[in-house]
Order: sequence, then structure tokens, then C-alpha cells
Amino acid sequence: MTALAPPTAEPRQTGWNSPGWRLLRATCRAQWKGIALGVAVGLTWTAGKVSVPWLVGQAIDLGIEGQDRAEVYRWAALVFVAGLVAATFTGLRRYLAFREARLAEMNIRQRLFAHIQRLHFAYHDRTATGELMSRANTDLQQFQNFVVMIPITISNFVTVAAVTIVLLSIHVTLALLALASLPFVNVLAKRFSQRLHPHVMGIQRESAELATVVEESVAGVRVVKGFGAEEVQKSRLYKEADDVYDESMKASRVRATYLPALELLPNVGLVLVLAYGGHQALAGTITVGHLVAFNAYLVLLIGPLRMLGMVVAMAQRAVAAAERVHEVLAAEPEVTDREGARALPSRRTPPGRGLGEVRFEGVRFGYQAGSGAPVLDGLDLTIPAGTSIALVGPTGCGKTTVARLIPRFYDVEAGSITIDGVDVRDLRLDELRRAVGIVFEDTFLFSDTIRANIAFADPQAPFEQVERAARLAGAHDFIVELPQGYDTEIGERGFSLSGGQRQRIAIARAVLADPRVLILDDATSSVDPTKEHEIRDALGEVMRDRTTIVIAHRPATIALADRVALLDEGRVVDEGTHAELLDRSDRYRAVLAAADRGDSALGAGGDGAAARTDQGARR
Amino acid sequence: MMRGGGGGGHAVSEEDKLDAEQAKWVIRRAAAWLRPYRRQVVASMVLIVTWTFTILAGPYLVRYGIDQGIVPGDAGALNLAVGAYVAVAVISYVVYRAQVMAVARVGEGFLRDLRRRVFDHLQSLSLGFYDKERSGVIVSRMTSDVDSLQELVQMGLLMFVSAALLIVISAAVLFAVSWQLFLVCLVVLPFVVLASIKFQRDSSRAYLTVRDRIGQTLTNLQEGISGVRVIQAFGREDVEVGRFARRNRVLYDAHMDSVKIAAWYLPVIEMAGIGTTAAVILAGGIMATGDGGVTVGDVAFFVLTLSNLFEPLQQLSQLFNTLQSAGAALAKLFGLLDTRPDIREKPGAVELPDDGRVVVDGVSFAYGDGPRVLSGVSLTIEPGEKIALVGPTGAGKSTLAKLIARFYDPVEGSITVGGVDLRDATLRSLRRRIVVVPQEGYLFAGSILENIRIARAEATDAEVEQALRAIGVHERFASLPEGLHTESRERGSRFSAGERQLVSLARAALVDPTVLILDEATSSLDPGTEAVVEHAMERLSRGRTVIVIAHRLTTAERADRIAVVTGGRLAELGTHDELVARGGHYAALHASWAGSLT
Ligand SMILES: Nc1ncnc2c1ncn2[C@@H]1O[C@H](COP(=O)(O)OP(=O)(O)OP(=O)(O)O)[C@@H](O)[C@H]1O
Ligand SMILES: Nc1ncnc2c1ncn2[C@@H]1O[C@H](COP(=O)(O)OP(=O)(O)OP(=O)(O)O)[C@@H](O)[C@H]1O
Ligand SMILES: [Mg+2]
Ligand SMILES: [Mg+2]
Repeated sequence: MTALAPPTAEPRQTGWNSPGWRLLRATCRAQWKGIALGVAVGLTWTAGKVSVPWLVGQAIDLGIEGQDRAEVYRWAALVFVAGLVAATFTGLRRYLAFREARLAEMNIRQRLFAHIQRLHFAYHDRTATGELMSRANTDLQQFQNFVVMIPITISNFVTVAAVTIVLLSIHVTLALLALASLPFVNVLAKRFSQRLHPHVMGIQRESAELATVVEESVAGVRVVKGFGAEEVQKSRLYKEADDVYDESMKASRVRATYLPALELLPNVGLVLVLAYGGHQALAGTITVGHLVAFNAYLVLLIGPLRMLGMVVAMAQRAVAAAERVHEVLAAEPEVTDREGARALPSRRTPPGRGLGEVRFEGVRFGYQAGSGAPVLDGLDLTIPAGTSIALVGPTGCGKTTVARLIPRFYDVEAGSITIDGVDVRDLRLDELRRAVGIVFEDTFLFSDTIRANIAFADPQAPFEQVERAARLAGAHDFIVELPQGYDTEIGERGFSLSGGQRQRIAIARAVLADPRVLILDDATSSVDPTKEHEIRDALGEVMRDRTTIVIAHRPATIALADRVALLDEGRVVDEGTHAELLDRSDRYRAVLAAADRGDSALGAGGDGAAARTDQGARR
Repeated sequence: MMRGGGGGGHAVSEEDKLDAEQAKWVIRRAAAWLRPYRRQVVASMVLIVTWTFTILAGPYLVRYGIDQGIVPGDAGALNLAVGAYVAVAVISYVVYRAQVMAVARVGEGFLRDLRRRVFDHLQSLSLGFYDKERSGVIVSRMTSDVDSLQELVQMGLLMFVSAALLIVISAAVLFAVSWQLFLVCLVVLPFVVLASIKFQRDSSRAYLTVRDRIGQTLTNLQEGISGVRVIQAFGREDVEVGRFARRNRVLYDAHMDSVKIAAWYLPVIEMAGIGTTAAVILAGGIMATGDGGVTVGDVAFFVLTLSNLFEPLQQLSQLFNTLQSAGAALAKLFGLLDTRPDIREKPGAVELPDDGRVVVDGVSFAYGDGPRVLSGVSLTIEPGEKIALVGPTGAGKSTLAKLIARFYDPVEGSITVGGVDLRDATLRSLRRRIVVVPQEGYLFAGSILENIRIARAEATDAEVEQALRAIGVHERFASLPEGLHTESRERGSRFSAGERQLVSLARAALVDPTVLILDEATSSLDPGTEAVVEHAMERLSRGRTVIVIAHRLTTAERADRIAVVTGGRLAELGTHDELVARGGHYAALHASWAGSLT
């Protein structure tokens, strides 16, 4: 179901012009100064570090072996100075490398977030939150890991080259013997990294699946308990725990294969140096000091060589990760301002009529354009400015979909939707969205204070306005009874509200935005009748002279609206007042289950209990 | 004992540090847990120690070769050193390999056990626990807490043990080789120790800050993605992007703070290493050129071995954070495992019979130490009866339903089903006989089929389809392009609100409970569909007791009897007509409901 490619170790497009490399190069170019400084610092460190073993060798040969105190002092002092240089620059090198890497990470994450905010609803429908999270988190981590290595790698590379030259200058044969095994360290390290990586990713993937099971079983605990599904959840988790275990053991097997070999190889060089070099020293062709220096150099080389090998593999991963990041960045927002998009008309022609007329003309729309039957087809509906309409229809008939089309969460396939005579696609998107206020059927509140949640549309709104909105939504009374009133934190880290309370906050949020067109999608389903009564009175005030679309199943809420549109089979099948429709439409009565009631409450006739059984069987 | 929540999913706090007493407690508990792995643990330890010795043997053999072979001109001794070196390298290889696998087997096995046991425990905890704890905190026990243990198991523990061993052994060997030179090395020790202590403190603080900021950034990111529809609906993209930029920046600063700490510590250690080398050369040189009893080989050995002293020290101070957060994670996990479920099965519990007579007798209840939510509720529901609970928000309707399903136990009074007190029934039979359909049509990731099968794992596809047919919605889902295999997507966003509730109701149709409780389970359905579903539910099994909670009075009217709950008491009980005639609460409620229609 995801729109994104699964994470793999290998970039799908190779070559220097693949999107991954391009992103990496662009990053380096943007930060070339910092990176270059890091490289320069790294090279200075190399000079200090590489000179130490040589200086130690000189101290042993000229000082100790040569029995010369003055030489001992001199070389010991030089070792100290070299140490000072190496030490200072190792810290600087680390600082600079991380600064550039974290900077790159931060910048790309910011771009990614901004882009995600602009991607259209259909993209988000296709793409799981977790997918996008891992792009902005795990993938950027891979990227960052590599950028850190750039200055370090360059100085490591120079270290290896410098040491090789120093060793060759001391003793060619011994140098060749000592270094013979080291290329294998490099190759092995690279292969190790490549082999290990799929399992590291595997562990990550399996852990994420395990986390999903845990999250779902916590979020859905009422379902689990209600149906006694604990055992089902346990077996799901056991499977995931086993998968994590299996992947981890595979990774350990790779480690067990490569790590000891990586440890062994440099020892080969050390043994050869001791064996061959020792005999050379016996024969007097090489000094003991040189032998010690050789040893020290080999030890010094092991780290950089291993790293060089791993860096090759890391680069591949970073490119693959960059490519996945690029994939999101490259997704074009489909709902955007048209060329020459215009502002909402601020005055109606002919004058004298209010603002906010909404008109659907021959609208066709389906979530999978082209495949399957469209959800809406041939929908015509006009809502005169300042009036309200209730959308009524059976479950899944497309009421919410109608609501989503007005603020252009999706674009219609055919037909048009106009506000005050202007096609919504010709309007500036920010203005359109501000003009249309919507209360979603699934309430989403942010982890923030109640006040901030209500003032979402306008964070600068004065408190009086927030309070007014809360009063109108019937939320003020319970808010002031909370521990910190309007400043109470809600959401994951804060106070948990009941469904009805959350809905009322969401209504207040929409009211505060003071939209030209207000849409209430089943916004009072969790509110009890006594409370609904109060909210209804308040909403009456909000809806006065404001174009309002109310989606509801309850007669009490439907009655708020001036007119009712009955939606079925993707179009408006009937329109009129509540009483008219009750009177003339069988379908309307069926949807409201009004046919089974003979009493006067719904003002419609019916056959009582018998009819209800029949209807149940019929449908 | 639960060591209270520490903020959201990724949050950390002071509790991520342990005091000495807690540390002891954690170690004791962990040791008890590792007892089944006793053999492997001992074997791993032996392997790690052996391996550490092989690493140390290298420089020692070089010294031997130089001092006993090269300097006196003894080729035999040199060859001996070379031969021994080869042998040690091979042993090291074999031991290292064995050791990695041994540690992995113990560690990963332990973690798998831990995951299973913690999850089992979570499943056994009652709703009361889930009310108290924030969901992010519960999830983090199984994710970030176990992950920090995993980090320790995978590399940390091995490195920690061998680093500590290396330091101790190196120090001992260096002392044995030349105590004079060793004393010279000790000169830098105070600096190194002081720097390490300071580094450890600073970096552990910085590490906690980084983890906390990462948590906040991830939370912000997560909300920005899952709330993107609301953000766009209100045209708030720019504000959110700006907010995120600040979070992102704060995280960057935290990263840089922690890098700075490492950036001054590294030079100190590096300087200490090379400075000591210089000092050893100086002192060794003076002694060797004089008559101080120090040989060239000794100096060479020291120079080569010093790295075995300083590198592990550096590793240790960096590992300390890993160790500390793993310890804290274990403490939290053990704490969780120690919370006793409120709802437990009595020894000698009996099966709940297939008899839907529910008797609520003088029941009072309060959530935790909170106020009374129910007081003295008595109600008898006959087998096969359908009863509706109505009343204002917060009256206690859902609470009563939850007590009947034994999600909680009453504080006073008792509830029996089929004559058996719920507290005397086995939990298995309880969950099978009494099923609750909650309001939220919660869908798990997976297909429609899988989602319905949550209710009964062994149900066949045909049975699931039968359940859908029973409530008259099979056609609706089967006609989708992918039919019943259609993926629900995150939280079921592929479906309309009503469709999600229908899937949830189909679950109830798949099982055959004696008592079915619908807690506003049809609130998003159009009343027409709702009537059909409810009717089907009744028809599915004769003699099934149904308890519905609904805000729509049309739903209540269809019930055999209506119970009106207000302020935690049973205010009225009777048929629709009786209650309307009585002119009490229900009549008023009904009047306002009906009045709204005209
Ligand atoms: N994001 C989506 N992707 C694909 N199909 C969808 C999506 N959202 C809704 N649908 C389908 O489109 C149809 C109309 O859905 P919609 O949410 O508009 O119904 P509704 O009338 O609001 O129903 P309800 O009363 O249950 O809220 C349904 O069949 C639903 O399965
Ligand atoms: N988990 C909980 N912890 C503490 N208090 C709770 C909890 N659940 C409910 N309450 C409180 O208990 C009281 C009764 O709640 P209950 O959910 O039973 O009401 P209800 O009648 O079902 O209301 P509604 O119609 O809104 O669903 C309320 O005051 C509520 O705040
Ligand atoms: Mg809807
Ligand atoms: Mg309730």
C-alpha cells in the first residue's frame, strides 16, 4: 500500500547522476567551507599522529640504544609536541565533522518536513505515517553517518598513504611484508559492512513491526479486552519477537565471521615484522628502534584501514538513503495554486446578497481515479450564501467525501465546485482553506494546551475570542473545571478528554477561524442529547448568516439546518426541508429509520414494529 | 510497583539514572533472570577473559623477542616468540568467534524472553492500568527500553567487560615488567581520572538532553505528519514548518553540546597517551642509559602497551551511558512486571455457564481513589432480554457496562452472570461469554478479514463472510476491488467512519457470546443501517442478552426495557411506554429529543 520503495541497501539507480548522489553532492557543495576546514584539520592531526612512532623509534635508536641522554631528551620532547598537535586536532576534527553532518541532517529534515506539509491528501492516504517518519529519521541518520566520515576519511586516507611512505623509506622488504595483509583488512571490512547492513536494516524493520503490534494493542486495548483477543495479540507479538531474534542472530553470525578475521589480519603483519624484522635486526640490517616503529605504525594503521573499508559501504547506504529522501522530496504536490490563482471575491454581484454560496455542478470523484466505481457521480447541489444544509445519507455514501472536496483536499475528476461563483481550483489555496472551516469526523487534536488547540487557525487570537469560541461550542463549562483551565495540556503527554469533549474542542477550533463556509462532519455524534441541546442553541448562533454544511444522522442535528439534501448512489437524490423529505421520501425515512415509528415525534407515519423487522430483513 | 511515567513515547527524565540501591536491585533481578542461562553466561565470561589475554599477549611476545632474542642475539628465542605469536593469534581468532556467538545467544535469548514476558504481562493487566498510564509510556517499555538493552547486548557488554579487563591486566603486567616505568605512567592518571569523571557526568547529562530532544522532535514530526490534514485544512503549514524549524534547531544545539563535550575529552585522553609515551621514553631513556635496570625491550613494550591502557579507558567512559540507560530500562521493565493485574483469576475458578441472566446487586464503584461513579446500582437482566442504558454524559453508563464485562471489579456489591459471581469465573470463559463492542471502530493494520478475525483467530474465511452477511454488510465490502482483502490502512483511514464501525460489529457477529454489550457501537451509522445491524445481532442467537448504550433515543426505544442512569444511580427502569407515561427523567429526555424535531 505504500507509495514509497522499501528500504534496501543498494541504491536502485547507480552512477554519479543518481538522485541520491546528487543530493549528497548538493549538500557537500552547500557546506564546502566547513567540510574543507574539517579536512585541513584532519590532515594536521595526521601529521602529528604519524610522526609519533617515528619519533619513538628515533628515541630508542639514537637515545637508548645509542646511550645518549641528550638524544633521549630531544626525542622525548618532540614526541610530546607531536602529541600536543595530534591531541588538539583530534578534538577539532571531531567537532567540525559532526557540526557539518548535523547541519546537513537538520537542513534536509527541515526541507522534508516542509515538503510533507504541502503534499496533497491522496499522497498521505497512500503513505503510512511510519514510512515518512523513517525517511526523516532513520534515513537521515544514515546520511548523517556518512557526512561525518567525509573529513575523517580523507585524513585517514592520507594517514595510510603517509605511513606507507614512511615504512617504505625505512625498509622496503619489511614494509611490503608488514603491509601485505592490510589491503585484505580493507576489503574484508567493506564486505563485512555490506553483509551486516541488510541484517541491521532487518532488525530495524522487525523491531518496527513489533512496535506496531505493541502500539496497536495499547491503542486498541478496548477492542482486545472487549473480544478477549489477548491470545491473538500474544501470538502476533511472539512471531515478531522471534523475527527480531532471528535477524539479530543472523547479524551476530556475520559479526562472528568477520570481526575475528579483521582482528587476525593485522596480526599477520605483526608476526611477519617480528619474524623477518627480528632476524634482520639480528643480522644488524635494521635497528631495534625501527622494529618498534614498524610495530607501532602497524597498530596505528589498523583503525583507519578498517574505517576506509566501512566507509565504502557506508557511502552506498547513504546514497540509498538519500535516494529515499529524494523520493519524497520529488513527489509533486498535486493540489496547488493554479497559474494566476485569484483571491475570493469580497463582494457579491449582484450586490445585496451575502457571501459564501457553494455550488456543485456535475461533480464526479473517486479515490482511485479511473479504477472502481466513483464515489460521487453527477452530483449537483447549490447552497445559497448564508444558508445551511444537512447532508444525510446511508453509511459510506460519500457525505464526508463531499465535504472534503470543497476545501480542495482532493480535486474533482469532472464537473466543478464554485464558491461565490469562482471555481475552487482558481482560488488561492491558502485563502480557500481559510474561508472553509471544517470539523472532521475523527477529531484530531495536537499535544498542546487547550487554548492553543482552539486558537489553531490564529495563534495570535486574544483570549476573549478563544473563550467565545469555546462557549459557542459548549466547551467552556468543562474547560474551566479542568486543573489548569484553558492552559491544560492535552494529548499524549497531557490530560485525556472524553470523545464528546474532544469534539467540542474541535468545533471551537473551527468557530474561531470564523470561516465563510462551515462544515460540521458528524460533529456531535459523541455528545449526549442533553448537551447536544445546549450546543445546538450555540451553533444556531454560529450558523446564523453563515453558509453551513451539517453532516449528521440525528434528527436533532439535522433540524439545525434550513434544508436537507439526501445523498445516495453518489448524487443528491432529493432535497427539501426535513418535514418535506420525511413526507415524500421512502429513502429518507429508511435512512433515518423513521419508518418504524408510529408516534408523532418524527412526524411521519409507519407500520410500527412489524415494519422494522421486515425492513431489517430486506436491506 | 510502577515507577511512574516519565513523559511521552520518547521522553526521558531523571529516572533514567539509578542510584546505588536501585542498581543493586536491578542487578539482583537480572541475575535471577539469567539463571536459566547460567552455563552460557559462565562460558561467555571465560571466553571473553581468554580473548582479552590473547590481545595482551601480542606486545608481550614482541618484548620477549626483542629482549631475549634480538638484543642478546639469540635466534631461538626470537623464533619461539614468533611461533608463540602465531599460536596466540589463532587462538584469539577461534575464541573471539565463539565468544561473539555465545554472547549473542545469551543476550538475544534474554531479550526475546523479556519481550514475551513483558507483553504477556501487559496483556494480563486490566483496563485500570491503561487508564493510568499514558499509552506512549507503555509502548516505550517494549520499544526504546528494550532497544537500549539490545544495544548493550549487541556490543556494549562485551566491550565493557573486555575494556575493564584490559585496563586491569595491562596495569598489572606493566607493573610486573617495570614498576619504575609504571610509576611514571601513574603521573597522568589523576588527570585522566578527573577528566573521565567530568566527561562521564557531562556526557551523561548531554546524552539525556539529546535523547529528550530527539523524542520531542520525533513527536513533533509525528504530529506534523499524522495531523497534516488538519494543518492543511486550517492553512497552518507555514506556522507548523516554523515550529518544526525551532525544534529541529534545538535538537541540533543539543547534538553540538554533546559533541563539544567529546571534543575536549578526546584530546585529554590522546594527550595523556602520547604524553605518557614521551614520559616513558624520557624516564626509560634515563634509566636505560644509566644503570636503572630498564631494558630497551621494556621501553618498547611500554610504548606498545600504553594504548591498551588508554583506549579502553576512553571506551569505558563512552560505554557508561549505554550501561546506565540499560540499567534504567531494566529497572522500569522490572517495575512493570511487578505491577499486579487488578483483575485476577481466583484459584479454583469455574467456567461461566451459557446463561445470560445478569444480576447487578448493590454495586458501587470508583476509579482508583476518585469519586464514586456508581452507587448502589441493582439491576436484573433476564436471559435474551435487550436492555438500553441511557442518561447524560458522565452518568456512569459505560462504567456499568465495563463492570459487567469485569474490566474492573466493583468496590461494593456483586455482579453475577448465569448465577456465577464474575470474580469466581475463569478469565477465559468470561471473555468468551461476555463481549463488548466499543464505540471507536478501531481497526488494526491488515485486511478486513484479519481485522474481523481478531475476535476469533481460528475462524475460516467463510465464517467471517457469514458474519458479514449476518449483519447485512457483506456485499458492501466484498464488492470492493480487492474485496475482503482490502487493507484497512492506518487506523482504517481507507473506510468511512460508519464502515469502520461495521467491521467492528462484524467481529461481534463472528463470536457467539452469551452477553453482548454495545457501548455506542453504532453511533456513526445512519439510523437505518443501525436498525438492521441491531436486529441482526439479536437474531444471531436466541437467548443472547444484549445491553446497548446509545445517545440516540430511537435506539433505546427498540429495547425491551430501558434503564436510565443519572449521577451514578439507577434512576428509572421500564419499557419505553411506561417511562414516558411516568413523566420522569426519561420522559423529559424524550421530550427534548422529540421536540428538537419539529
Ligand atoms: N481515503 C479513502 N480512500 C479510498 N476510499 C475511501 C477513502 N475514504 C473513503 N473511501 C470510500 O469512499 C466511500 C465514501 O466514503 P465517505 O467517508 O465519504 O462516506 P460517508 O458518507 O461519510 O460515510 P459515514 O456516514 O460512514 O461517515 C466509502 O465507500 C469509503 O469506503
Ligand atoms: N478511566 C477512568 N478513570 C477515571 N474516571 C473515569 C474513567 N472513565 C470514566 N470516568 C469518570 O466516571 C464517570 C462516569 O463515566 P462513564 O464513562 O461511565 O459515563 P457515561 O455515562 O458512559 O458517559 P458518556 O455518555 O459520555 O459515555 C465520569 O465522571 C467520568 O469522568
Ligand atoms: Mg463520514
Ligand atoms: Mg460512555
